[in-house]
Amino acid sequence: MKRQWGRMMAGMAILGLLCGCGASGGGTEETFARGRQETRALTDISGADQAKGEGGDGQTKTLTVFAAASLTETLTEIASMYREIRPDVELIFTFDSSGTLKTQIQEGADCDIFISAAQKQMDWLDGAAGAEVNPWGLDLVLEGTRLDLLENKVVLAVPDDNPAGVDGFEDLGGDGVGLISIGNEDVPVGAYSLEILTSLGILEQLEEESKLTYGSNVKEVTTQVKEGTVDCGIIYATDALGAGLTVADEAEEGWCRQVIYPAAVLKDSKEQEEAKAFLAYLSGSDAMAVFEAAGFSPIK
Amino acid sequence: MSLFVDIEKKLGDFHLSTCFEAGNEVMGILGASGCGKSLTLKCIAGIEKPDRGRIKLDGVPLFDSDLGVDVPPQKRRVGLLFQNYALFPNMTVEGNIMAGLKAAGKARREAKALAARIMERFYLTGLESRRPCQLSGGQQQRVALARILVTNPKLLMLDEPFSALDGYLRWKVELELMDVLSEFGLTTLFVSHSRDEIYRLCSRACVMTEGVSTAVVPVKTMFREPQTLAACQLSGCKNYSSAEPFGGDGGTGTRVFARDWGTVFACGRQAPKGLRCIGVRSHAFRFLSWDEPSPDTNVMECRVERLVEDVFHMVVMVLPAGAPADSPDARIRLEMPKETWFAYADKNPCGEGDRIRVGVEPEDILLLT
Amino acid sequence: MDWYPLYNSLRIALIAGVVVFFTGIFAAYYVAKLNRVAKGILDVVLTLPMVLPPTVAGYFLLLVLGTKRPVGAWFLERFGVKLVMNWYSGVFAAVVVAFPLMYRTARGAFESFDETLSYAGQTLGLSGTYIFWRIRMPYCRQGILAGAVLAFARALGEYGATTMVAGYTPGKTATISTTVYHLWRTGNEALAFWWVMVNMAISAVVLLTVNMLERKKK
Repeated sequence: MKRQWGRMMAGMAILGLLCGCGASGGGTEETFARGRQETRALTDISGADQAKGEGGDGQTKTLTVFAAASLTETLTEIASMYREIRPDVELIFTFDSSGTLKTQIQEGADCDIFISAAQKQMDWLDGAAGAEVNPWGLDLVLEGTRLDLLENKVVLAVPDDNPAGVDGFEDLGGDGVGLISIGNEDVPVGAYSLEILTSLGILEQLEEESKLTYGSNVKEVTTQVKEGTVDCGIIYATDALGAGLTVADEAEEGWCRQVIYPAAVLKDSKEQEEAKAFLAYLSGSDAMAVFEAAGFSPIK
Repeated sequence: MSLFVDIEKKLGDFHLSTCFEAGNEVMGILGASGCGKSLTLKCIAGIEKPDRGRIKLDGVPLFDSDLGVDVPPQKRRVGLLFQNYALFPNMTVEGNIMAGLKAAGKARREAKALAARIMERFYLTGLESRRPCQLSGGQQQRVALARILVTNPKLLMLDEPFSALDGYLRWKVELELMDVLSEFGLTTLFVSHSRDEIYRLCSRACVMTEGVSTAVVPVKTMFREPQTLAACQLSGCKNYSSAEPFGGDGGTGTRVFARDWGTVFACGRQAPKGLRCIGVRSHAFRFLSWDEPSPDTNVMECRVERLVEDVFHMVVMVLPAGAPADSPDARIRLEMPKETWFAYADKNPCGEGDRIRVGVEPEDILLLT
Repeated sequence: MDWYPLYNSLRIALIAGVVVFFTGIFAAYYVAKLNRVAKGILDVVLTLPMVLPPTVAGYFLLLVLGTKRPVGAWFLERFGVKLVMNWYSGVFAAVVVAFPLMYRTARGAFESFDETLSYAGQTLGLSGTYIFWRIRMPYCRQGILAGAVLAFARALGEYGATTMVAGYTPGKTATISTTVYHLWRTGNEALAFWWVMVNMAISAVVLLTVNMLERKKK
């Protein structure tokens, strides 16, 4: 509930940005800060007691992490693990869509670590990225800290009993498949799906045969597969795992852009060393086990 | 042709219980609105189902709760003329008249010929393609009658056939209806709240009050000698007093004491068993001049309470001198042609508050149970 | 220009309109005859889809017709017919959502009917069917026509339940309304606008036709 309020605030802030074009920069900043506090209230509940238990130095360091919404469950779990080994570090998360988070950072929100669900948003903020992907020439990423943290696979999910007998992407063009659910171009996974079908050279054929049904977000596609109203659907591995769906196939490299979750420490961070340490922990085997359990893949 | 009806039906608090027989005649049912007369007709037509009883037409049972007979309305061959005539608004005059013929399976040409003939009889020729809303009230009734009679019903029932008409037209239509009834000679049930209509159109009639009907009697008898208070009220009598046989008369039993008027009346006949009250019609009272010698009986001294001038009549409200102080029925309404009144007033003081004498003939005392 | 959404929308709305026309009329006719308690309950149940969001109707439809739900599974097994994600799934959605409009207006019309006309018909020997179609229906023509038009228009514009049970499959389940949404979501505003215009034109023609019919009858 509270997180949704935080999101709403952020959403309203963006609206404010679009309308006011930064004329009321101070006000916007304040709104961001409030949104973050709401988040802290949530993540703090379990952490507060432990911090007290350590008693001691009182030199608690605070790290603010902006992360893609799809990482909510995994990062919350990892945070509690991290608290075990680093009780002196307090982690504050803001989960939202990567685009929203990018905009907030660009507007000067306090943030130590940014984890995006796609390269696009990170490029936008990275001075080392090319002008075509960083048109405003922003330079907010701390050099040498950017890394590709995770990969989310695009998979072909089928209903439990797999009535159409779909075993792989190659089967999609065959007669056995009646209806394939994908996101529309506006949905990231939809864009990847279209790339895959194009690479396989069956997009036009499927469109012609009216075998493609378009969902307006990845959850809708997931539900349609789960309910068996379609023969298969193209979604993220994490969504398939979360919904307990059978994965018939994984998209091969080269069929579509890789779905990479990049992470980086930001230049304005006041705790750069601590931030680097946490980022290292995220890349480590303990955290990666959590990510993999949720369906993410490590970067090879 | 004959109709026999003996039915009972409960509708909430209302309890209909009626029994009568009608021969080849126009039989009337006189009753106030809501007394159950329309319900009776609906039961006979088969639109409503009685709880119990029998309905027979020409000896054939239409409804018999014991035998489990309930002929559907379509097969009863009973014509029912509704108060509002119930013409089908979406059909033409001809369409309305031909509807029943087509349902009876008549070929189109035959139906058209029959319709044309009956329309001629009912002065409807030329109105074939009109819609009901384009007709006058009288024309509407003629269409409704034609529509019923063209199907050759065995029984005709008329439910307040003049209530949708007013004044002059009503009289004209009534005359037309009289002709139709005598010409077609069907067994006819005529239902009305108007004693005049019943009196003019029917040979025999019964009175229905709160769902219960009295015995059927010739209308002449019904109005001359109503037997019950309800029948008397419906026949138009306005003055009533509770009454009991008066015993101080050597046991002949022909005298009654009118409690509300504090007066003993000689009736010239035996008071019936279970006498409850007497009634006297407004025009039955006679004004007596003070210079006339007083008759032995049936005279009341009264005080004039109000004078109301009607179009052709004078209405005089009087209070009998012997009336008990708390009696609600004591006030009497007298009516007479204006000339009679003025002739009387010339010789006698009879303004409001004045005292007058009124007399009644013994046969005008209606003895009611 | 792919005309399929227009064809599909009209097809769904027409079939749903016909289905709703008859079911709505008969439901209205029989409910109007019931006793008060039964009438009250049925009235609520039959009118509910009108006041609920279409997505709720869609949810219930999926609960019944989905391939893993009782009715849907039975049909799939028995006839090999999938009741959802097909063009006719849109008909189910449109019927459920448009039904109350027909039912409500028809019931109002029937309640204003002068029953003595039916009685008179019966005593004249007319059958119940004849009375219903040739006397009751013409008498209630205005209300019933209004209900039919409202139901058709509602079926034509149905989006929420349709998108849930039929989805958006271009060339198969796409209707004008789902096409407009898809085009807008994917940034094809010009084409979305075009379809909006098509939809408005159809609605205007329908309403005009009704007005003209009414005037002619008078």
